[in-house]
Amino acid sequence: MNTAPEYMISTDSITKKVTTSEGPLQILQPISFDVKAGETIAIVGASGSGKSTLLGLLAGLDEVSSGKIHLDGAALHTMDEEQRARLRGEKVGFIFQSFMLVQSLTALENVMLPAEIAGLYNPEALANELLEKVGLSHRASHFPNQLSGGEQQRVAIARAFITQPKILFADEPTGNLDAANGEKVEKLLFELNESAHTTLVLVTHDTELADKCERQLLMHAGELTEKQSDSPQAKGDEPQLKAI
Amino acid sequence: MWFNLAWRLFRHEMRRGELTIILAAIVLSVAAVLSLSLFSERLQSALTERTSQFMASDRLIGGRNPLPEEWLLKAQEAGFNTAQSTYMRSMVFANDTMMLADIRAVNENYPLKGDIKVTDTPFGIGVAIDAIPMPGETWVESQMFQTLGLSVGDTIEVGDKPFVITRVLSEVPDAGFSIFNSNPKVLIRKDDLPGTGIVGPGSRAGHYLFLTGEHADLEEYTDWLRPQMDSDVHFIMSVEDDDSWVGNSVRRAEQYFLLASLLAIVLASVAIAVAAQRYSQRHYDPVAIMKTLGASRKMVQRVFLLQIIFITILGIAIGGALGYGIQAAVASAIQERVAVSLQSWYWGPVLIAVFTGVICAILFSLYPLLKLFSVPPLRVLRKDLGAKMSSRIIQFLAAGGAIFLLMWTYSKNLKISAILFSSGIVLVLALLAVTYGLIWLGRRLGKGRMGAWQLAWARIQRRSMDNSVQLISFAVTIMLLLVVLVMRNDMIQQWRDQLPQGTPNYFMANITETQKPQMEQHFAESGVQVEEFYPVVRARFVAVNGERVNTEITKEDEENEVQSNRRDAFGREANLTWSYRLQRENKIVAGQWFSDYQEGEPYGMSVESKTAERLALKLGDVVTFNIGSEVVDVTITSLREVNWQTMQPNFFFVLQPEVMQGFLPTYITSFNLDTERKDEIARLMAPFSTVTLFDVDARINQLREIVDQVSMAVEFILVLVLIAGALVLIAQVQASMDERQQELAILRTLGAKGWLIRASVVFEFVIIGVVAGIMAALANELTLYLLQSQVFQMPGSLHFEYWVIAPVVGAAVVGILGAISCWRLLSLNTSQLLRNMV
Ligand SMILES: Nc1ncnc2c1ncn2[C@@H]1O[C@H](COP(=O)(O)OP(=O)(O)OP(=O)(O)O)[C@@H](O)[C@H]1O
Ligand SMILES: [Mg+2]
Repeated sequence: MNTAPEYMISTDSITKKVTTSEGPLQILQPISFDVKAGETIAIVGASGSGKSTLLGLLAGLDEVSSGKIHLDGAALHTMDEEQRARLRGEKVGFIFQSFMLVQSLTALENVMLPAEIAGLYNPEALANELLEKVGLSHRASHFPNQLSGGEQQRVAIARAFITQPKILFADEPTGNLDAANGEKVEKLLFELNESAHTTLVLVTHDTELADKCERQLLMHAGELTEKQSDSPQAKGDEPQLKAI
Repeated sequence: MWFNLAWRLFRHEMRRGELTIILAAIVLSVAAVLSLSLFSERLQSALTERTSQFMASDRLIGGRNPLPEEWLLKAQEAGFNTAQSTYMRSMVFANDTMMLADIRAVNENYPLKGDIKVTDTPFGIGVAIDAIPMPGETWVESQMFQTLGLSVGDTIEVGDKPFVITRVLSEVPDAGFSIFNSNPKVLIRKDDLPGTGIVGPGSRAGHYLFLTGEHADLEEYTDWLRPQMDSDVHFIMSVEDDDSWVGNSVRRAEQYFLLASLLAIVLASVAIAVAAQRYSQRHYDPVAIMKTLGASRKMVQRVFLLQIIFITILGIAIGGALGYGIQAAVASAIQERVAVSLQSWYWGPVLIAVFTGVICAILFSLYPLLKLFSVPPLRVLRKDLGAKMSSRIIQFLAAGGAIFLLMWTYSKNLKISAILFSSGIVLVLALLAVTYGLIWLGRRLGKGRMGAWQLAWARIQRRSMDNSVQLISFAVTIMLLLVVLVMRNDMIQQWRDQLPQGTPNYFMANITETQKPQMEQHFAESGVQVEEFYPVVRARFVAVNGERVNTEITKEDEENEVQSNRRDAFGREANLTWSYRLQRENKIVAGQWFSDYQEGEPYGMSVESKTAERLALKLGDVVTFNIGSEVVDVTITSLREVNWQTMQPNFFFVLQPEVMQGFLPTYITSFNLDTERKDEIARLMAPFSTVTLFDVDARINQLREIVDQVSMAVEFILVLVLIAGALVLIAQVQASMDERQQELAILRTLGAKGWLIRASVVFEFVIIGVVAGIMAALANELTLYLLQSQVFQMPGSLHFEYWVIAPVVGAAVVGILGAISCWRLLSLNTSQLLRNMV
């Protein structure tokens, strides 16, 4: 059992099976690994290898077929959707490739949204502060389709940090952006992450982005292995390879 | 806090036009239902008012004996306006000649509804007057002036009492629609009647009490009265049970209005269903995002339910104002030509409209909303994940139940609701079969080169399940429009047929053989066409199968006095005619019409079926008539049904021509003369002083006026429904266009040419339009057959032309609408499209 508090995420033999029209399909082979609080992790791998599926399980958006997941000590695999939603609201932040902003809310209101859902005090002030940090306070009243991709992703980053989550999940955060904008977003993400001491799990194709993370996990056809750290930036503990 | 969120979403989406479709649907439904039902309520009350004039009141109580004083007192107590009259037939003497007249003794309040019209010269144009003759005076109809050689100022005697003629009577409101065999009316005061001594025991008088008042009060009074009435002696009549031609027409029109309002409700429901579906789909992402960010199911539900409530309230408010505006505009535009009671205000339609808005909004958005709530948060990672529930059956059941409930509540008419509903069900099932058929067909046909046509076909097939809802809504809309359109055509045609232009408005009787050619020539010189001459011989009805019959009037004759046009023809004497040709609007119901006469056979006779029933005559009976001094035996060879609502002479007895050889008949004929040429009558008739002239011009004009009004009202209702239908179609195309947006953007990005995309979209809509049109035409046929035979009491008819028109128009309209909105979409550039997609 990996419920020790030092692990922000702890998984034990999680699998994901789905039934398709062509029969059952095992998307994820049994996977076990742990993530410490404050760690930054990149999950890399080929398209269709199951990265997003894993992310969805870790974030409590989906249910495991078998195995156990603990998120900051909470047993995700025993929770129903309502309980997981509450947990997400309290502890998890999200950033997506396609930004996932609510089109009919302004930038400011999008940033406020998680704070409102969580019932925080004075969401507007918090949101303004964050928009300031991502450099978009002058676009606060603009709607998502009036913003560029890079700007939308910056709004999404601001939204992700407003509830001061313990864990941040990012699925291809720079996937839809050009190099310059991608870099800007990356920079922001890591800055905010560092100052908030958030645990970061990000899925990416971008090796440069992956290299900025302390650990890299490689997904291959539903199997997860620890990628040996060869990057000079890597720091912290030695890899804890647990892939089975 | 969820309230803030809901409000904020609502405000922004409102401003950005995201809610326009669903808002438009609610506005449309409320506006259509309100304007239609308010308008038809007003029309109906105006028409009822108009028809009540033919009874000179709202309720008419009649009896063969003087009515109990208590009935009058009770009516006055109830606060009704009352008038009384006594009608009877009696001889009138003047200039040493006499004639049978219809004596109408009325009191001062008469008529409660409608007008007495008088003029100064016989056959002049009548002018309404708000009075009755003074004591000792009388107003007399033109025909009597002619027959008795009278002029205004002369004196006539009715029984023991002389009356001075002070005016020519041209119209009384409750004259009935009998145009033939009616005696000239003589209007006097009721208090003058006793002095004539013509009313006494055994005299055949009708005593009437006219009432007007609040409908509910009248009903209450009727309930009080009924147990005290002797059905052999008394009767009570209201506009509702007016069985005359006019009564039937107005009732039919009312039914049409009801139908139209029901259809508006269905249209509205369809519009809302389409819009709600669309609304739900557009909000999959926001729901998934909110859930991902930690929103509980309850919160999501609250936020979106609240939004629906906001939209509903706004929709009802705008729709209400709009509906009232449309109705007021239409009413004031046509008030010159159609009597619409503008003063009156009705809460009923307002309640119904609000109720419809709420019910539609709730029931039709319920299922899409439930679907929306079930959108999984994982959708943020996997775009293809939609809502989990997908039981269409629940949707159809809920929507169908809601529609039926609305129709039934509103119409309180199970029959109409059931007919519309069941044919709707048949249509939906057929369409589902078609969509599944298309899928199946599409699988079988391989894929060819990707031209516009193939692209369209592929798209239809791929989206066939989504399309089925759309197809159903198009088809239902087209069907409903067809129903109101065809119904209106058939109904108006039928009305017009009964009173075609040039319908005879004067009838002449007692024309001799020698006068016939003279008359034709004399009239032709003035450009007046004389219609067919019918020979008539007066005969006495003597025996049936050798048994002498009591030829006194049978009891039933009198009972039908007010409404029937057959009573007068019947007495001891009957008018016989003969012909080999069956008259228009006569139908043989038993036996056979005459064939050529064979020597030695018994002579044949055709009898009107009701008369046969009344006199207990059957096929094969031998009837004996006395004609002059001779006795004639005829055998009943056929029974005829006669349409008494036509404006032509009709006969109870038609004999085989051979029987009548040797008898000298007089002739009856008719002609048409414009009302403006009325002053020529005296000159036209001058050479034929022995001929009796019946002037039914005023009656015909009244009928025509009513038909025109009702037709016009029906037209306006039709236009309202058509507008509503068109808006629904536009909303549907718009909604489905938005769904195609993403696909178009992708095609565009992939480099597909503009014309290819446009053509494929147009083809797609054209195919949908054709299929919807065909199915709608079929369903329309079924609905119309049921409606006409079960509700409107009209002969059912097939409408093959619509089998072509519906698909063609469906394809054209849907295709054009599709092309327009496609053009709008394609005029946005690709990056805008892609941006909108997210
Ligand atoms: N519910 C499901 N039903 C069927 N197949 C699924 C389902 N969920 C995931 N898959 C399949 O599992 C595989 C892994 O999907 P996943 O989205 O996790 O890949 P990924 O590594 O994120 O790829 P990419 O880098 O392209 O985003 C894919 O082949 C996908 O089609
Ligand atoms: Mg992925």
